Amino acid sequence: MATITINGDAYTLPEGEKLNAIQAAKLCGVEIPYYCWHPALSVVANCRMCEIEVGAKDPATGEIKMVPKLVPGCQTLAKDGVVIVTDSAKVQEHQRMIMEYLLLNHPLDCPVCDQAGECGLQDYSYHFGQATHRFVEERTVNPRKDVSDAIQLNQDRCIMCTRCVRFTREITHTGELHVMNRGNHAEIDVFPGVPVDNPLAGNVVDLCPVGALLDKDFLHTQRVWFLSKHESICTRCATGCNVSAEENRGSLWRFKPRHNPHVNDYWICDEGRASYKEANNPALLASMYVKKAGTPEPVAVDQAVAATERGLKDVVARGGAVAGVLSPFLTVEEAYLMARYLKSLSPQAVLALGPVPVSGGDQTFAPDKTTGRTGDTSFVVPRPFTIRGEKCPNRIGVSEVLAHFEGEVIGWESLLARVQKGEFAALYVASDALDPAFDEVAAGAIRPRVGFLVVQDTHATPLAQVADVVLAGATFAEKAGSYVNADRRLQYAEAALPPRDGSLPDLDLFAILLARGAGPVRSREVLAEVAEAIPAFGVARGGVVPPFGVVIATTPREGADAGGAAVGGPAVAESGSRFSDPWTTVWRDHGGRKRI
Amino acid sequence: MSDFEPILTRNWNVPDGDTLKVYESRGGYQASRKALTTMDPDAVVGVVKDSELRGRGGAGFPCGLKWTFLPKDRKETLLCVNGDESEPATFNNRLLMEKDPHQFIEGILIACYATRASTAYVYLRFEYIKAYRILERAVAEARAAGHLGKNIYGSGFNLEIWLHRGAGAYICGEETGLIESLEGKRGWPRIKPPFPAIEGAFRKPTVVNNIETLACVPHILERGAAWFKSIGTPKSYGPKLYCVSGHVNKQVCVELPLGVTARELIDVHAGGVWKGRKAKAAVPGGISMGLLSAAELDVKLDFEDIRKTGCLGLGTAAVTVLDDQTSIVDYLYNTSRFFAHESCGQCTPCREGTSWMYKTMKRIKSGGGRLEDLDILQNMSNNLGIMPGTTICGLADGAAWPFKNALAKFRPEIEEYIRTHQDPSRRITPLQAAIASGVSADVAVRHSLTVLGSAPAPAALHSADGGNRP
Ligand SMILES: Cc1cc2nc3c(=O)[nH]c(=O)nc-3n(C[C@H](O)[C@H](O)[C@H](O)COP(=O)(O)O)c2cc1C
Ligand code: SF4
Ligand code: SF4
Ligand code: SF4
Ligand code: FES
Repeated sequence: MATITINGDAYTLPEGEKLNAIQAAKLCGVEIPYYCWHPALSVVANCRMCEIEVGAKDPATGEIKMVPKLVPGCQTLAKDGVVIVTDSAKVQEHQRMIMEYLLLNHPLDCPVCDQAGECGLQDYSYHFGQATHRFVEERTVNPRKDVSDAIQLNQDRCIMCTRCVRFTREITHTGELHVMNRGNHAEIDVFPGVPVDNPLAGNVVDLCPVGALLDKDFLHTQRVWFLSKHESICTRCATGCNVSAEENRGSLWRFKPRHNPHVNDYWICDEGRASYKEANNPALLASMYVKKAGTPEPVAVDQAVAATERGLKDVVARGGAVAGVLSPFLTVEEAYLMARYLKSLSPQAVLALGPVPVSGGDQTFAPDKTTGRTGDTSFVVPRPFTIRGEKCPNRIGVSEVLAHFEGEVIGWESLLARVQKGEFAALYVASDALDPAFDEVAAGAIRPRVGFLVVQDTHATPLAQVADVVLAGATFAEKAGSYVNADRRLQYAEAALPPRDGSLPDLDLFAILLARGAGPVRSREVLAEVAEAIPAFGVARGGVVPPFGVVIATTPREGADAGGAAVGGPAVAESGSRFSDPWTTVWRDHGGRKRI
Repeated sequence: MSDFEPILTRNWNVPDGDTLKVYESRGGYQASRKALTTMDPDAVVGVVKDSELRGRGGAGFPCGLKWTFLPKDRKETLLCVNGDESEPATFNNRLLMEKDPHQFIEGILIACYATRASTAYVYLRFEYIKAYRILERAVAEARAAGHLGKNIYGSGFNLEIWLHRGAGAYICGEETGLIESLEGKRGWPRIKPPFPAIEGAFRKPTVVNNIETLACVPHILERGAAWFKSIGTPKSYGPKLYCVSGHVNKQVCVELPLGVTARELIDVHAGGVWKGRKAKAAVPGGISMGLLSAAELDVKLDFEDIRKTGCLGLGTAAVTVLDDQTSIVDYLYNTSRFFAHESCGQCTPCREGTSWMYKTMKRIKSGGGRLEDLDILQNMSNNLGIMPGTTICGLADGAAWPFKNALAKFRPEIEEYIRTHQDPSRRITPLQAAIASGVSADVAVRHSLTVLGSAPAPAALHSADGGNRP
């Protein structure tokens, strides 16, 4: 067990991890400012913001010997007996000096800078810098440029921390970014014709501590302090990256990655990053529809729900068979309530998994300790990042629910074959229109074969256009609930937006159909029921999902999903806190104060 | 010192001294043969350690000791020879390579045998094309004669030497900048630890040595550590190539025992200060090392005594003389321009500090100086470099030292310059001063802080893209 001394107080560090002084101090509630250090990147110690006084305590005599010069905290191993001082006059004077230096040639155009409000320069100026400087010379102004179609570089704001360069070398191994020119004229740049357009490129914007690298999609759209951050999960592939869905005035404006060492580490892919836009799509269903005299007519929510219930009950009463299609975009809770509803109507109801979109294979970025790295790598724990070919968030979770109710997982293709044979008098498809499977061909094949068709969706798909009842459900942003990723990790996503006018979140729709009683249904209560009912979800007892998620048990069963054992890098402790750079951390309420 | 017998330069004036034939005829490659065929590598390290040979590249680190830092269980070792020689006024490495390449190759061979390195990279300053050609030929000769290649002298030891030309950056002489550059990357020095001996080029244990350091090695092997220690001054043993340049009658590179004084170099070997003038000051060992005043010219130029004058160290032992008509302001202007240009740009204090110092000197020189600028320069130089712990490499110390020494030794002269060289058009405007002290531009203007007509417009504070490149 390591005991270290910070500013005169002794602290005991947890066993296991190799920490630098910045990390150790943070665990002990002491902040050491930094820019260039990042836990996933090798230590280069070039910004010099993190300098502290370091010494060692002789275990026998208790005598403390300090190193006479300042030492970067990012480079200092927090080992037993280390003594660090972060608040001496010497350290503070140094911090003021670095802040003065960093701003010499900085435009300070915060009023038009997207980074304002989550800027490392602003925050540290306030906490560690000063309002004046001694520089009266002409400034060096390095040019602005594009480094890809999606990313702009305002070089005049760059502090040369090289986080972005190290990311493209050490994590993606694509090396598009580099430094050119020397000294004061050093610039981050790309080689001609080689833009930063790897599938993880957008992360360089997140890594940039200042407003130098900018996402053109977000450029000048919002002031970040107006954004409410919601802890969400990206639904664009089976990895289930942890994201912050950032909302203002009823729209999403961006996704930012949230750290999860078991899933996405610090990153998200560009496709996922752009997927927030679907939540703002003007073509989303804005009403429920019931077919009257052959044409769908917009109706109020309660009428659509009543029509659904009436239609299904009629079929069951006449002895007709009912089938339900549960899309792999549904949350675990939604799948559970839908299954329960259909089984309560008719124990013989057939439940099947909706189409599972797949596009290409998995793409893994596997950083190691050596490739592309130059600095000190001893603190780095390399973890791979995989973009899955399976483009939906919850195939495993929905399958577990289906297996529980059905004893097997019936796939979309086999159900479709049975539909075409005319086996079902009623079909209830709950989906999220991202899959082109519900196209004209499917509509033409299904419609003539079922008497009563309910489609619950977010878009007016060709299948929805021919349905008897269209229920307008929620986008990923409008629903709360949990998903099971490709590594069988159950993760919880908050809702980021209220339901659109004319729609109702899927979970509420099922709850109403189930007549669960007054008041809104809570996903957590439903998950608690799931945990009781289905052994695989037992880990979510009480509906509680830990911050980094939890791996669900494997149901012993032949076929599809057995053996989905966790893959990935070295084991990580399940506890531990989510890393975020201090300048990005804002309290969630509007006008929130920084936590520094 | 007339009885000093040249050692490193002994072949310089011999006809065809750069050929293998002549080198061998004068006893060349005997030391390497002795080492490889009769000695254990560790014994070679032992001899070099006993000789207390200190690195000639600038830092003066004991060479044998450095070799012992290599991990005991290493699988592969690399030797990088530092031939980037870019310290202004330093040219001894160039002469060593051009005039006696085989002495240097023999040094590499022994060093590699001692450290068990079977690959040596010679990193050559880009501008040294002549030395490159000579070395290319010499390496081919040595290989053909069996001094390089496989199973040298039947000892089972293999060695290949690769010549690599830099691309014209001072910073690639810093050992980890050199390693990065050799790996094909930008020459940005690395933080230490890990030191190159543990994790150097291509992440393998690496020794970096200067050319002159290695040139000493064959002689130590041949004549023994005690002989080597009989030359020089305590803690600074052996011969040294001193370069003398600047305002002297004869720019020279002379070999002398360590510990000669600057005055002797100037008066005896360089023919005195030119034009019959007196020396005002002298740079002791490359501009990174600071400045000696005229009164300090009798100090011994070795690794120890030089520090008593407040200079950074012996450096490359390249003395540059400033005559009494030379302004210290010009000296500082030139020095700061060099470091602002050569700073690699990664450490905040060096990247920003060196160019700030240069811009300040430019303004002072052109007539816009303020006395308070000197306090700012003093404060910056006190906090710049690996000594105060604020940068990755020693370039920043080298940028700071000229200011530290000049301000300590010549401040009255610089103040006098500022007082007597005032050009109103070069002065900073009250607006600039106001903005620096945190008053916003419009407030400054409202409070009628006059903006001088001839002064740069406020826009100049923030000139167009890249408009002020040097
Ligand atoms: C900015 C800077 C430039 C340097 N340039 C050179 C150089 O050109 N040649 C050299 O031999 N050493 C140079 N050095 C010193 C090297 O870092 C290193 O100490 C030396 O090559 C070690 O060899 P030695 O122990 O044989 O002296 C430089 C150091 C710094 C900080
Ligand atoms: S990077 Fe930060 S300090 Fe610079 S303009 Fe943007 S918000 Fe302001
Ligand atoms: S662009 Fe941003 S991340 Fe890249 S070096 Fe500059 S400040 Fe750092
Ligand atoms: S001190 Fe200067 S030259 Fe050396 S690494 Fe830092 S920025 Fe580069
Ligand atoms: S964070 Fe340590 S030097 Fe940049």
